[in-house]
Amino acid sequence: MKNFNARFQPIITLLARLVLGGVLLVAGGLKLNKPTDSANAVAAYKILPANLAHLVGYALPWLEVAIALLLIIGILVRPAALVGGLIMLVFTAAIASVWARGLLIDCGCFGGGGEIDPSLAAQVHRTYFIEILRDLGLALAALYLYLFPYGKLSYEKAAVEE
Amino acid sequence: MAKQQAKAQDNTTRWIVIAMVLLVVVTGVVFSLMSQNNKENASLAALDGTKLKPAITSTIDPANGSAIVLNPGSTKVIDVWEDPQCPVCKNFENANGDYIESLVRDKKATVRFHVLSFLGDESVRAANASFCAADEGQYLDFHHALYAVQSPLENSGFWSNQKLIDIATKIGIKSSKFTDCVNKGSKIDVVKANYDSMAKYGVQGTPTVFINGKLWERKSPDFNLAEFKAAVEAA
Repeated sequence: MKNFNARFQPIITLLARLVLGGVLLVAGGLKLNKPTDSANAVAAYKILPANLAHLVGYALPWLEVAIALLLIIGILVRPAALVGGLIMLVFTAAIASVWARGLLIDCGCFGGGGEIDPSLAAQVHRTYFIEILRDLGLALAALYLYLFPYGKLSYEKAAVEE
Repeated sequence: MAKQQAKAQDNTTRWIVIAMVLLVVVTGVVFSLMSQNNKENASLAALDGTKLKPAITSTIDPANGSAIVLNPGSTKVIDVWEDPQCPVCKNFENANGDYIESLVRDKKATVRFHVLSFLGDESVRAANASFCAADEGQYLDFHHALYAVQSPLENSGFWSNQKLIDIATKIGIKSSKFTDCVNKGSKIDVVKANYDSMAKYGVQGTPTVFINGKLWERKSPDFNLAEFKAAVEAA
């Protein structure tokens, strides 16, 4: 395993950057031109007071796109992965909290959002489960990047003396 | 020496990049906030030239969830459950609002409006103001105006008491009794009674419509007048 990682680490790092960065770029990009939907989507989680939730909703798409660009280009990969991983953990906790409180919402992860009709409860619960798995998977990719930030096709290179 | 210099440079670059990211995010937030605000204030223009229609006396019926009752005593009874902030209620109002008003004015049906407030503080304020308008005999005018200017962002801060008064003033409700009623939240008990009655009638969302006590369910993807009209006439 150690040998495997030593051999393929630069490629795994590249893949992790593209996967985490790619998902964040799409998620942020789809929400950028619809700030109102994004603000409503965050408020629908009923975790933050409305006006704070709206600010988070406005900020998130821009943050996601910025982190995505840093990861894809390969600039400040370690801090970018740290932030990216933390927001994935926050998303996971938020969806789990919504599920535990019995709310039925669209996560608004890739745009959209808001409440969903009670008749679709079973489907929504399945979606929550998949979303939590996906976000935890992305958090793992972020952890890998935090440990091994330097890989192929990166603007930033490992310092030579290391 | 050279190593130290490179390291210092590296740190500077790092802070510049972090500052740029923050700048982008903050600019995005400020831009979104401002454009939301502008859109909401501009929406009041939709009320330009609105003329107040003749007053219709309404009553509050505690036996029916403290709804606003218009044209009581007709054999046909329509119950409309709405939250002023609910976007789908706006669609319902756009499609069927004028028709429902004509049923009331032509005395074809009794219409009971259950004004709900489960979408947050601004719904509570707007519901309170709606009952204040009902006291003036102008519930339908105010109801129509609220949906005309409804913000796509719930609880954005748009429907302050002052803004609700501005909206009313713009359509011609100008009495100081109304202003007082809005500012003091005089109708809060009725607002609460409407909200509390949801469970009793099995209402889970809005808009919910009953025609002669029977739940009406639309078949078409959007609200359309022909479908609703047919359902009312068949009842």
